[in-house]
Amino acid sequence: MHIDLKREVTRSTSGRFGIGLFSLILAMALFAPLLAGYDPLAQSEVSLHAPSWGHLLGTNHVGQDIWSQLVYGARTSLLVGLSVAAVSTTLSAILGAASALIGGLFDRIMMRIVDAFIVIPILVVLVLLAAYLQPSVWVLIIMLSLLGWQGGARTVRAQALSLKERMHVSAARCFGASRWYLIRRHIVPELSPILVVGFIYSMRRAIFLEAGLAFIGISDPSTVSWGMMMKEAMDFSYLNAWTWWMIPAGVALSLTIIAITFIGHSMEPAMDPRLREVVEGEALA
Amino acid sequence: MLKLVDLRVNYGQDQVLNVNYLEVAAGESLAIIGESGAGKTTLGLSVMRLVEGQVRGQIYLDGQELLSLPEASMRDIRGRRISMAFQNANNALNPVHSVLSQVMESPLAHGLGGKSEARERAGHFLTRCGLSPDKFNAYPHELSGGEQQRVLIALALVNEPELIILDEPVSSLDAASRAEIIELLQNIKGSSSMIIVTHDISAAAHLADRVGTLYAGRIMELGTTMEVLSNPRHPYSRALLRSYPNMTTVKDLQGIKGRMIRPIPGCPFHPRCTQAIDICTREVPDLAITNGRCLACHRGGIVSLLETRNLSKSFGTIKAVDSVSLSIKGGETLALVGQSGSGKTTLAKLIVGLVEADEGDVYIEGDRVINRSKDFYRQAQMVSQNPGEALSHRLSVQELVMEPLNIQGIGTNEERRRKVAKVLGEVELSARTDFLDAYPHHLSGGELQRVAIARALVLEPKLLIADEPTSFLDPSIQAKILKLLLNLQEQRGLSMLFITHDIAMARKVSDRIAVMLGGSIVEEGPANQIITAPQHPYTESLVNTASHLHLWGGGDRLHHVHPH
Amino acid sequence: MQRLGSGRRVLGTKNVTIYIVALIIIIALNFLLPRLMPGDPLMAIYGDEALVQMSPQLEAELVQRFSLDQSLWHQFGAYIGGLFTGDLGHSYYYNAPVFDVILGRLPWTLLLVGLSMVLSTLIGIVLGIESGWRRGSRTDRALLGGLMSLNGFPDFFIGMVLLLVFGVTLGLLPLSGAVTPYSGLSGGALVLDVLKHLILPLAALTLAHVAAAYLLTRNTMITVLKEPFMLTAKAKGLFPRVLKYRHAGRNSMLPVLTMTGIWVGTLITGTIFIEIIFSYPGLGYLMYEALLFRDYAVIQGVLLLVATIVLAVNFLVDLSYTKVDPRVRYAH
Repeated sequence: MHIDLKREVTRSTSGRFGIGLFSLILAMALFAPLLAGYDPLAQSEVSLHAPSWGHLLGTNHVGQDIWSQLVYGARTSLLVGLSVAAVSTTLSAILGAASALIGGLFDRIMMRIVDAFIVIPILVVLVLLAAYLQPSVWVLIIMLSLLGWQGGARTVRAQALSLKERMHVSAARCFGASRWYLIRRHIVPELSPILVVGFIYSMRRAIFLEAGLAFIGISDPSTVSWGMMMKEAMDFSYLNAWTWWMIPAGVALSLTIIAITFIGHSMEPAMDPRLREVVEGEALA
Repeated sequence: MLKLVDLRVNYGQDQVLNVNYLEVAAGESLAIIGESGAGKTTLGLSVMRLVEGQVRGQIYLDGQELLSLPEASMRDIRGRRISMAFQNANNALNPVHSVLSQVMESPLAHGLGGKSEARERAGHFLTRCGLSPDKFNAYPHELSGGEQQRVLIALALVNEPELIILDEPVSSLDAASRAEIIELLQNIKGSSSMIIVTHDISAAAHLADRVGTLYAGRIMELGTTMEVLSNPRHPYSRALLRSYPNMTTVKDLQGIKGRMIRPIPGCPFHPRCTQAIDICTREVPDLAITNGRCLACHRGGIVSLLETRNLSKSFGTIKAVDSVSLSIKGGETLALVGQSGSGKTTLAKLIVGLVEADEGDVYIEGDRVINRSKDFYRQAQMVSQNPGEALSHRLSVQELVMEPLNIQGIGTNEERRRKVAKVLGEVELSARTDFLDAYPHHLSGGELQRVAIARALVLEPKLLIADEPTSFLDPSIQAKILKLLLNLQEQRGLSMLFITHDIAMARKVSDRIAVMLGGSIVEEGPANQIITAPQHPYTESLVNTASHLHLWGGGDRLHHVHPH
Repeated sequence: MQRLGSGRRVLGTKNVTIYIVALIIIIALNFLLPRLMPGDPLMAIYGDEALVQMSPQLEAELVQRFSLDQSLWHQFGAYIGGLFTGDLGHSYYYNAPVFDVILGRLPWTLLLVGLSMVLSTLIGIVLGIESGWRRGSRTDRALLGGLMSLNGFPDFFIGMVLLLVFGVTLGLLPLSGAVTPYSGLSGGALVLDVLKHLILPLAALTLAHVAAAYLLTRNTMITVLKEPFMLTAKAKGLFPRVLKYRHAGRNSMLPVLTMTGIWVGTLITGTIFIEIIFSYPGLGYLMYEALLFRDYAVIQGVLLLVATIVLAVNFLVDLSYTKVDPRVRYAH
């Protein structure tokens, strides 16, 4: 089955919408210093001010500029999202493929561990760890990665197992190909689509969890996070401030996740051709 | 009871089905035979109005037109008056419900009783279809393929419909289940009308009263099972039967040249038909009754090519050929079997005009042959046993093969060279200069015979008379020549009069065999019939004394009847 | 994500070992983390503030109960022993055994989680079936686009928006709690009161999680509709509703049921957020308070209980799966 993800995504409406939206957020993150007017953590006496020309989204309870916090928050979310997705996907690729190719006891133990981690509710473990460890952004990334690679590993393992048995791999072996050649030429390219899809969903979950942890209040206070903005805004929910304080942060977070969801959705027909739209004139018999 | 009039089904631009007229009487079973992509499943589905695509035309069930009915009324008919038994492929049954509940669903949905009556009815039909009661509550994946097919058939029967459509009922089954399902269906026959859609010709033979062959969405031939399967009159029907491996046919398998291409103007079969003429490429033939058979062919089915009537020749007191009447149809091989002195070669010479007949006539394509003009030799050609003698040792290969063209004055020099190259390719010889310049004494026996055949074919005749064409050749070369002749028939639709003394060889290349003894034909018929059930004692002795390799069992006792 | 291919058997699902291993991991984490921190184990487990509040006798008792002055192995033994007797330590903030504190909050969480689980799954399945049946139509595309977008909103955001719109601005519904405090209601009025407080949190949770069931059902529906047995069913002349639900729907539900166990985990995550927003007195809010006040004993207790509940639900879903999909066989 020939999977061309790039074509899938760019062809479908939801894919293009997702990519467009994501690019906006990415731009916001990359150009944060240019876009923000202030240092997001700089406090001032101008607190709880409504939006004005000086402060596009007003200021929060300690006088920090909300718009600046918003653009820097994008950095945090995307940094965490992309890093966790990268590490997670790499881990799942290596461990999943190793499990399939090595087989035997290693495989069985690995799969028990993987399954065990899948059923554990992650937030629970994260809260536990965070309560004791007071994680900085990097520690958070490591924690999320260590708790997130298991889902992908299962899929990679399944695919690697089926690849092991496929004819073109057997044929290459009959030509005397080395294991390394097989992995490079036949197995890794087949795994790429799964890894890309896994990357997308991993990133989505990481962004959600980072914001959630910040919302509960157990993340690093020195990093700007949309989740933290929402938490702080909530404390002042009796004031009107929530309209320009909480909503933008929430919307920004939601749009980011929506963008990723749409990209992921556009990839689904590539992975399961049965989901494709029926082309006009397709014969039954 | 069921009438299809001008039924056309389109998927977008593609016309998948176009049936002018089809009728099924009450209690009758009709088989529609075709290959994949022919549109047979679409035919079945469109009667049920389950086809996705544009459907036009009329379908009459007992006079009621179905295509114009509202969906709700059609729902009533589906499963109740017309039902369909699907092919048991993969998941034709819902995996999460027991088979009994799925069969029960049908009578319940049509209001044929309450739950307990429906259950009883379902149980009754499941039993009738041979499923044991302890399997009623099983899930589909717990049953074998044969059992699942029985459930699907029971599903179709349960409301005792007027018409059942069976889509490939036995194709995905193993041999034992197949036989059982065929038996089951034979028992059901008669209580409902049946349409069986299949590519399995032998299943059709067992189950159907009438048979139709379907090609590219059009019906090519329609008739009783006996008529169509033992004496097909449409080129496609005949070709289909020739390509179908079965225990009855003795001739080697032959395919059909080319492949199905759609859509094309004119008759859909014409690119693959070996007797297509100009009108076939332009106009679509309608299904019409021609000489007592329903065919869709501009030429009225397979043409008659050669006919001899009461041909006789005597040499002095010996009657070499005694009132022989034979006929050969287009694209057919008739083997003339007899020992030396039986008159076979004389007959060949009579047909070709090398010897004058005392009595009788020869007809080519229905016209009486009065004198053997050049036109005649463009229709019929002959190849004899000894190519070494038939080919002048003075002429090179190129000159030999070009000679007929020179004699007939066909084309320019350049065109003739091209034809020579082409025909040499057809007989699997090289067209390179060094070969073209070779002389007969440079060539092997096999190559010589191929050159002789090439020579005969360069005028593109429709009939090739081959008089013992391989008796001078080694068996390994002989086999290749025979295969070549079969291929030429497949590609060009060449008819052959194959003369031989070896009935074992005749068996492999002929559609029909005529046995000649002492100047007359003592027996004639389809090849498999002559071989397996010879009537005349001479024929019988020929069969018995022919080469056998029967190395096991009791000793072979040869029956020999002396010809007198 | 497990996709249920028709005709393929679902992998002979997980057996008990997995759950036991998972539980062990959590218990181990719970046990090890505080003890690996530098310093006095008592302080690590209970935190500074707690110790300040505790009387010396209580300290001594705790040290004795959990063998905190002995080797790690002894401590583990005592810890496990404590688990079996329901002794999860002592909450300094509530000044009561952790177990009692948790038990008081448990029913509210169960109510919220249970109802939202059922609602979001049911609504998701029905919408998914209807959407899949009409694939490509305007209804389908609207539903798909709408629910996919809805899926992108984190549950805490939805909760906050609902609270701010309906609670603060419009003043229609209560802002916090599970019941109106000190109202002394009983019987039908009490039920109504509970419901009034439940609506917003329940709506928030359900809205946030309905998309998952919807998308999975819709996808499965699309592939199921192409299966041969749908044509067989249509040929029987059945009504569209029967085809949709009894035939296609029944098959489309299966993957959703597989995922239920995993979704409970996500739902509980969401519940924690929602309880915080609505100050709903369940386990989530308890944990939040405990975090604020550094009442580590309570944090550990809540987390252990939550994890156990999720694992238990997963396990039950696995067990019941055989009833639902006859193709699955258990390798015992």
